Amino acid sequence: MDALLASAGPISSSKSKQWSRKPPVSSHQTVPRGQGKAPIDPSTHSILTTTRIPSAFHQSTLPSGSGATPIRPDPSIARINDKKLKAKLSRQDVGNKRAKQEREDVNEWLNKAVSGGNGGIEVDTEEGERTWRVRQNDIVQEVGVSVRGKKFDLKMEDMGTYKVDYTRNGRHIAIASSKGHIATFDWQAGKLHSEIQLRESVRDIKFLHSEAFYAVAQKKYVFIYDQDGVELHKLKLHIDPTHMEFLPYHYLLTTVGHAGYLKYHDTSTGVMLTQIPTHLGSPHSMAQNPHSAIIHLGHANGTMTLWSPNMTAPHVKLLAHRGPVNGIAVDPSEGSAGRYVATSGMDGTVKIWDGRMWGKEVRGWKVRNQITTLGYSGTGMLSVGGKSGVTIYRDLQQNTHHTPTPYLTLPMPSLTASSTRFCPFDDVLCVGHERGISSLLVPGAGEANFDSAEADVFETYSRRREREVRGVLEKIRPELITLDTDFLGHVNEGRGGETFVEREARSFRQLGRLERLRATGKADEPDQEGLEDDAEGAEGDADANAGEGVSRKEKEKRKMKGRNGSTKRYLRKKAKKNIVDNTLLAMQAKVAAQKKAEDTRKKIQSGEIVKETGALARFG
Amino acid sequence: MKIKVISRSLDDHLSSSSSAQHPLQRNLAPHLHPFSKPREYTRAVTAAKMDRMFAKPFVDALGGHQDGVYVLGKDPRRAAVVAGGGGDGEVIVHSLALRRPLLKIPNAHKGMVGGICWTSEARDGKRGMVTCGKLDGTIKVWRSEAFAPGLKDKEVFEGNEFGSGSREASNSFLDTAGAIGESGMEFDEEEGGGLSIDAAKRDALGQNLEPTMTYTSKNGFNSIDHHRTDAVFATASNTVQIWDENRSAPLSTLAFGSSMETVTGVRFNQSETSVLASVGNDRTMCLYDIRTGKAERRIMMQFRSNCLSWCPTLPTVLLLGSEDHNLYTFDIRKLESPNQIYKGHVGGVMGCDWSPTGEEFVSGSYDRTVRLWNRESGKSRDVYHTKRMQRVFDVTYTPTADFVLSASDDGNVRIWKSDASKKLGPVSTKERQAIEYRKKLVERFSKEKGVREVHERRHVPGSIHNAVKLKRDMIESRKVKDDRRRAHSRAGKEKPKAERKKAVLKEHK
Repeated sequence: MDALLASAGPISSSKSKQWSRKPPVSSHQTVPRGQGKAPIDPSTHSILTTTRIPSAFHQSTLPSGSGATPIRPDPSIARINDKKLKAKLSRQDVGNKRAKQEREDVNEWLNKAVSGGNGGIEVDTEEGERTWRVRQNDIVQEVGVSVRGKKFDLKMEDMGTYKVDYTRNGRHIAIASSKGHIATFDWQAGKLHSEIQLRESVRDIKFLHSEAFYAVAQKKYVFIYDQDGVELHKLKLHIDPTHMEFLPYHYLLTTVGHAGYLKYHDTSTGVMLTQIPTHLGSPHSMAQNPHSAIIHLGHANGTMTLWSPNMTAPHVKLLAHRGPVNGIAVDPSEGSAGRYVATSGMDGTVKIWDGRMWGKEVRGWKVRNQITTLGYSGTGMLSVGGKSGVTIYRDLQQNTHHTPTPYLTLPMPSLTASSTRFCPFDDVLCVGHERGISSLLVPGAGEANFDSAEADVFETYSRRREREVRGVLEKIRPELITLDTDFLGHVNEGRGGETFVEREARSFRQLGRLERLRATGKADEPDQEGLEDDAEGAEGDADANAGEGVSRKEKEKRKMKGRNGSTKRYLRKKAKKNIVDNTLLAMQAKVAAQKKAEDTRKKIQSGEIVKETGALARFG
Repeated sequence: MKIKVISRSLDDHLSSSSSAQHPLQRNLAPHLHPFSKPREYTRAVTAAKMDRMFAKPFVDALGGHQDGVYVLGKDPRRAAVVAGGGGDGEVIVHSLALRRPLLKIPNAHKGMVGGICWTSEARDGKRGMVTCGKLDGTIKVWRSEAFAPGLKDKEVFEGNEFGSGSREASNSFLDTAGAIGESGMEFDEEEGGGLSIDAAKRDALGQNLEPTMTYTSKNGFNSIDHHRTDAVFATASNTVQIWDENRSAPLSTLAFGSSMETVTGVRFNQSETSVLASVGNDRTMCLYDIRTGKAERRIMMQFRSNCLSWCPTLPTVLLLGSEDHNLYTFDIRKLESPNQIYKGHVGGVMGCDWSPTGEEFVSGSYDRTVRLWNRESGKSRDVYHTKRMQRVFDVTYTPTADFVLSASDDGNVRIWKSDASKKLGPVSTKERQAIEYRKKLVERFSKEKGVREVHERRHVPGSIHNAVKLKRDMIESRKVKDDRRRAHSRAGKEKPKAERKKAVLKEHK
């Protein structure tokens, strides 16, 4: 489109210009038409010369987005000498940036415009209205008829406490009571798929890749049922299961039982992938990170551990609470993308953690009632379920110093929420408790714009079939589950399975390309010796602010002197071995040059040498 | 108080009729598409596997030769006509579209055929085929309606559809079949279909066909190439000779200095049409200009080159196939070292030819394999072999770049797809998009181990596999020896020499 507009030529600004017969300047090959006539530019035939582009489409007037500023490749690419490589990389870089910008444009102009932001409750705080005072009945009164039906209660007396689970598109729900009552249904159409009474204790229920299969953690084993409630599989290897998670892109059913063994079972092939002993006893809670497929377990001693099937030790082990960790939830929303994790403990606190830095929680606060379960919604709302009700928070990443004000409170007198789940792509929270389940309205909780290629809320039979086939074809190998989801496609510098001696014994021709470039000093990478940079920086600073004595002294203090410099340590080690190689020589030369420069500087300072300032100084 | 909740109307999200497409809603925000990179990677692995699964490069073998086929001569202006010259002096003109001979000339030469090329007339009907003999020292120009419609061989075609039929109709099929009256599709089964209706007639034509012109010389000719536009051709014997089609004696004789060593190959440049290059038994490659009538440059290499080919799009790039198993591209402005070395064969390279785009080329080797290469990469992109294919002596790309042809010792001209897994025949837009997407995926992850292993692995016969290993060991041990020698000599005395600098021994100007 841009090219087409550009080829239409500049737009005449005034009327007089329109009448003057001046041939437009064009870079295209033109066909001359004789005296006094403008030559024909064949490339512009598709657009009439009288066509005017609406000013809103002018690239300069776009407030943001693809036309606002010309996209330039990263300046670091300019350093590359190879012309073809440079052209290729800058093309890729520009393409990536443009794609990102266009995505942002779509989000800004299409998604937000259609859905009107995230929705939610707006109150007039000056009149004393508060969102957390809004009751379900008030909401039901305000919303339209089609939404009213989404608030409902299923009352099941004396069935025990209920666990709930939604499918990924939020269309179907599975409920399981601790006394063995199981049901799955399409809650929007009100269509029951299956209902069974197992007559034994049930601890968890999870949908597999679609509503057609679900797994139930029963008294002894895990069982898999189909849509009609027919038992398909008895997974005998999962003994005494307490919690389950299903990783939809990896087709892995993950369970953990009283014995504390974390087990990964491939549901597409039926093969048990791995069993990892946690050595921390029966876990109290379990959650998956939907963006990295890392399993989070909460333990009785207050630790939270992060697991993948590729390691027998946890990736992260974290003392989160004083007392058992009984609720974990990972924020899947746009701002977090699996980075923020909420935990709750028996000690009555809720804590938010940042996955990039586990050292200290982002925020934590005390909750008065006893917490039992946590849940995150698609827009990042946190539901804290406990005795006598559920509290919902939003905007937890802002203003982290205070105890957050609840967004909504959903009181449930004399009931304890045993499981809370936000419905994906809808403003609904489902709470399982001792008297059945309650589906409650939480305005602004759901991601409004779903992607039907990923999870289609209105999925038809044929599209589900298509998705299942494609899903199995694109099943991600479990080896690719890592904490850092971006590692794939990056350069692995180390050579596996090589000892230090072997590495050192390699001759120049056996080195890899990067190593060769390093050895010859041609590698294009940021300087490894940060300390030396510091030293140079300090010198520069010293020249700049010679007047400020105190700050300069402090900076000089930081400078490495004597035997402690990392470069010197390296040189000492190398020199001891009596091996002379290119790196060593280069390093020695560098150190010598630095020393010389330092000496000269000192001499100039002390007045031993008078710095030449004449025209010939540069030759000194 | 204002409350906004999600409320979706079924009208927007359900298809309007049973046959209509299900309405799609897209949201490209990354948080709704987790694992995008691993999923793409998985798709790339699948794409690489599919690529290998559909890799069936062998199309057909064109038989009919009594002896091995040692030279190929493609008609550069027609997609589907190629002539093969045998060891017994037989020349067969094949139609690739029909996959059968158009003409067999059993005794074109006494002894081996040295080279085949086609004259430069723009009209198919007027074009002739030029062949030269390696032993009998003759050059013959052949013209026949069998492979160049427009002539009349009355005694053969009298009375049948080619002689009297509508010329316009037959001409329209020239490109596909390369011969008259045949579309390659519409066989007249009752009459036996196409030209082979009359294998006997065709044989009779070939038996009785006389060359329209014969040139003789004392020496045998090892190679021949025609000027792109003019009625001039060059031959290689112990010198390079330039001939005019209308004169019986050579126009000029070109040699570097007083060299009288055997010249094994000669080729005209395609863009700078008066420049030609030759390779010879004395390990040299020599450049000539027929305007000055002089040899301009010569390089001596470490090993002999068997074949050469000019890049059709980059006028300065010349490809040499060498006896040392490697191929070299040279920029003729800078002959002291090759631009790129192409390693992969484990036998001397006997034939090479560029694709029409100049981005790729094909080589055939004495190790019984055909390899395909990208100009910019020193490793072969693909390797073709079959159980029955013997030593390959000549290879060529077809002018449409869809196929490569190999001529081998076992008397067959084999047709291979130039892209092993490419689908022949019409491809729908959807399918093409899927293919392009898969290709891009593989390219994107081609450095990743899982994709690379599938994408680059080629099964080769045991003998070649062993030869590769042996060669690798030999080269490695030689290098280790060099390393050690260097380690025990004075520092800087024995500097390692770059591989590219080793190939050329000397440049003569």
